[in-house]
Amino acid sequence: MENNGSLPPKPERLKQKRIRNLVIAVILLVIYIWAFSGVIRAMDWSMLQKLDENIRQVLPKLFSPDLTEWRKVFDKILETIFIAYAGTLIAAILAVPFGFWAAKNMVKSPVWNTMGKWFLILDRTFPELILAIIFVISVGPGAFAGVLTIGLTAFGMLGKLYAEVIESIDMKVVEAMEANGANKIQILFYGIMPQVLPEFLSFALYRFEIDIRASTILGLVGAGGIGTLILITAQNRNWPQLGFIIISIVVVVIAIDYISGKLRKRLV
Amino acid sequence: MITFKDVSLVYPNGTQGLKHVNVTIDEGEFVVIVGLSGAGKSTFIRSINRMVTPTYGELYVDGENVIQLQGKELRKLRTKVGMIFQNYNLVNRSSVMKNTISGRLGHTGTLRSILNLYSKKDRALAYENLKRVNIEEYVYQRADQLSGGQQQRVSIARVLTQEPKIILADEPVASLDPPTSHQVMKYLKKINQEDHITTIVNLHFIDMAMEYADRIIGMRDGEIVFDGPASEVTEKTFEEIYNRPIREHDLRGSE
Repeated sequence: MENNGSLPPKPERLKQKRIRNLVIAVILLVIYIWAFSGVIRAMDWSMLQKLDENIRQVLPKLFSPDLTEWRKVFDKILETIFIAYAGTLIAAILAVPFGFWAAKNMVKSPVWNTMGKWFLILDRTFPELILAIIFVISVGPGAFAGVLTIGLTAFGMLGKLYAEVIESIDMKVVEAMEANGANKIQILFYGIMPQVLPEFLSFALYRFEIDIRASTILGLVGAGGIGTLILITAQNRNWPQLGFIIISIVVVVIAIDYISGKLRKRLV
Repeated sequence: MITFKDVSLVYPNGTQGLKHVNVTIDEGEFVVIVGLSGAGKSTFIRSINRMVTPTYGELYVDGENVIQLQGKELRKLRTKVGMIFQNYNLVNRSSVMKNTISGRLGHTGTLRSILNLYSKKDRALAYENLKRVNIEEYVYQRADQLSGGQQQRVSIARVLTQEPKIILADEPVASLDPPTSHQVMKYLKKINQEDHITTIVNLHFIDMAMEYADRIIGMRDGEIVFDGPASEVTEKTFEEIYNRPIREHDLRGSE
């Protein structure tokens, strides 16, 4: 009666798993301790004092924004939004055919399909700022370089997301349309598009949110938008104006995130 | 008229879907195919509109051997043969009207259909067919707002809008409850009688097969093991087709 109501003994496999997890935890702990002890030894503690000083000097200036140049800041922020908008628009449209190319259920030949996937991966491997530098060199500094940069980076991500949306559709609808004699283009417009378009739009809007943030820093390498102004202002140590710029960016980003979030909720 | 002449089908994975099937189905017949799952019922009816391709034999639909058909000619065959599915296969996000009129796709030019430029006649036909299955009040609703039985009725309206000579129904009531199942079968029967459209239905419920069919074809392991008028069929016939005693889940039950 001793064993009554108790669980059967755990299989050997589970015990082994526990020992393995314990070993991993100990190894991780050792690595952490080793890493942090190195940091503490190499640290220049006088830096903390300087940091404190700098914060005391700069922070209040950042929070007492200087609005005298509001016109210039406003124009540049508008340019930033336009760069993000134009770039996302290019990407959202360009990504549609590539999404179909990279979707398993749309392409019969696995080799051809994998090539589509690789093409999008290749595009996603380029860091934004590197692309921006390349475009600034090839088309000259300014907003156009920024639009191309955003367009190309957003295209890689949207293409992949579109492909995943297409792969998740209900293929039975496609079957039903094949069965009533519809041709491929009709199936695309009647069976596939209604299923994927809301998701496509939703992802494009989401990418627009990301691109607003991305395009604020493109100016650092001369690809237009508010970034150039941030760079100049910071180099001139004009903290009150920098504060104003940062606050403006925060307000714009929050507003656009909010609006696009609401829109996306209604779409799907 | 549909004629199977020694038709066999082997799937690429080696499964034998059909084995030397010989059968003729006349115009206007209401045929129910019965058999356990995996018996080849689906393969049989999907061969008729070439959703699957038999690997041997000849299959005549309307006097034309359909096994070699490709591209445009295959689409032409499919406009003549309507199909109804177990899961209705409607576009959830599209309206009932758009789903119904998509039955006209095979008869409509690509550009016209993309731009939604259907003739008044086509629109009237779609609406008329929705009326025939008593679902016209939902014409502007999204398909996913309808219940299963209502969705299956929309898919019947879609098939009717195609103006087919033959209707194939692949387990049309397997996802429905008993009362709705009978309703759907009654609509199919009514259409068969009023329009003389040859109708072939896959079912695995023997009581429904006996109630609605003119003719019953029994299948087992890809072969036709029974073929005769529904009036000659008894439970014993089914035990022979199924090769086992009848169980309760072989019956749908009455309304």
